[in-house]
Amino acid sequence: MMALLASGPGLAAAIVVLLALAVWSVRKLAALDEQSALGRFGTPVVFGAWIVVFWQILTEAFDVPQVLLPAPSLVWHSLVANGGVLLGDFVQTVVHSALIGWTTGCALGFATGVLIDRSAFLQRGLLPVAALASTVPLVGIAPIMVMWFGFDWHSKAAVVVVMTFFPMLVNTLAGLAESGHMERDLMRSYGASYWRTLVALRIPVALPFVFNALKVNSTLAMIGAIVAEFFGSPVSGLGFRISTEAARLNMGLVWAAIVVAALAGSLLYALLGWVERRATFWHPSFRAAAG
Amino acid sequence: MRKTTTTLVFTMLLAGGASLAAAADKVTLQLKWLPQAQFAGYYVAQAKGFYKDAGLDVTIKPGGPDIAPAQVLAAKGADVTLDWMPSALAAREAGVPMVNVAQVFNRSGMMLTCKKSSGVNSPKDFKGKTLGVWFGGNEYPFLSWMGTLGYKTSGANPDVKVLKQGFNVDPLLQNQAACISTMIYNEYWQVIDAGVKASDLVTFPYEDQGAATLEDGLYVREPDLKDAAFVAKMAKFVKASLKGWDYALKNQDEAVKIVLAADTSGGSTAKVQKRQLENVATLITNANTPKMGVLDPAAYQRTVKVLLAGGSDPVIKKDPGPAAWTHAVTDKAMAK
Repeated sequence: MMALLASGPGLAAAIVVLLALAVWSVRKLAALDEQSALGRFGTPVVFGAWIVVFWQILTEAFDVPQVLLPAPSLVWHSLVANGGVLLGDFVQTVVHSALIGWTTGCALGFATGVLIDRSAFLQRGLLPVAALASTVPLVGIAPIMVMWFGFDWHSKAAVVVVMTFFPMLVNTLAGLAESGHMERDLMRSYGASYWRTLVALRIPVALPFVFNALKVNSTLAMIGAIVAEFFGSPVSGLGFRISTEAARLNMGLVWAAIVVAALAGSLLYALLGWVERRATFWHPSFRAAAG
Repeated sequence: MRKTTTTLVFTMLLAGGASLAAAADKVTLQLKWLPQAQFAGYYVAQAKGFYKDAGLDVTIKPGGPDIAPAQVLAAKGADVTLDWMPSALAAREAGVPMVNVAQVFNRSGMMLTCKKSSGVNSPKDFKGKTLGVWFGGNEYPFLSWMGTLGYKTSGANPDVKVLKQGFNVDPLLQNQAACISTMIYNEYWQVIDAGVKASDLVTFPYEDQGAATLEDGLYVREPDLKDAAFVAKMAKFVKASLKGWDYALKNQDEAVKIVLAADTSGGSTAKVQKRQLENVATLITNANTPKMGVLDPAAYQRTVKVLLAGGSDPVIKKDPGPAAWTHAVTDKAMAK
């Protein structure tokens, strides 16, 4: 507070100028054509950069203690100094727990969806049970999974499987019901079997729904993998790092782990979006603006 | 006329009484774990009115898994917190100015409990085994001890595999770890209650391994100690708390009843708490003497030595010196 008072008017003036510059630059970029790369990525990147700049200035000006909110420079130093440790955590949480759990959960959900679609008996019997299973809270199943599968990443992957199973199941069923009567009648007139119709017509039509579930599940997988580590883990993993370093008041490293987790989640989501655009280019949601 | 006057005087007395109660000093105490006999002194002091008699309105906040007392104190969630010396000194290095104002437990109750069937008979056998450790501030004595033994606990090829233990003894029961961290008054008995025979276990009390550090003590923020009114308030609080401890250790059955009443989860039983209080009593050897609650500077130095000796990964990097503790509060409490 003394630092701010000492430089009071000068600091206030500097902040006002920077604020004006920030608003001007972001508006200029936002007005650019959405087709060019600069137009699409420029605005969010510059906006984010300005937030970091103001974060740094305000934490320094108000002498905010690092245990409350560390400055971005401290977070960067922690990220660089602990790069090896964070890479190990990334492998443990994202590559092992989240990705493997996500793949298994989505595959199981999809397969179960196809099976339920085939059999009316399963539809009446299995679907309500699966719906019930989806309501079990994450913090309830995590300790049980640790007891069943041990402390390592296998139990975290099991938690992710449970979390991602139901959204994928529901979306698969909705997608399989999407194909129109005309198209199904056409396949029937060609003498196509159930499985041929499934592969050639119904699954491709279901893809937008499947990708929707894949994207939602990628977020759930990250959350599940990180939170499940709070309940017992070996000494590596992003969730472990965040909880133990927070207790040690090492906030720079906590935020560095958060940055790694956020980047991993965003990249996974962006990758899925890219694959989705290639696989379901025909869907109305991807048509370019008219004119 | 007389009736009106009497009513008026009565109302004034009531109002005066109410304002006197409202003028009681507020103190928030953050405990280190869920309500149990480990904190009997404070619950007894509250139930028997020792805090009220001292003019204090005390709120006791229970701790729990993932509640780090140092973090709560740093965030100003409490005026005084119960913490262990290693966690407090590490917090000091991280920028939280914690100062010890009273040391309640003078012996360490930490113990590594291992199953004989895992092949562990002495600290030499730890190499290559999985050991369960609590975090959230409780890992420091363990890390120090492993450092002095020369074992690496992290990195690509650790000598000892460390497991972040939850608040139960499952890793030992499920054979997921060869050894787990236990307190002699709590988790060790959970293992016995789960059916494991004491003869099947081998224990390593930290006191015997030269790795003991000071445990339950009361800590406040250093800037607060500059305020004389705060120091006076803390002196009253410490005096009443130590009175609570003296009473609890002399009247253990009553103390157990008070602790069970404070445990809103209803998860514990009188048998478990009685056993815990008996074992906690062995850690407070100064009870009902003038030395009760006063930090022994020699014990402080021993703790600092243990923490600095953690090999390549010491818990603290330099000696915090006498700034980390003060006798000002206990001196004032004794003088009253």
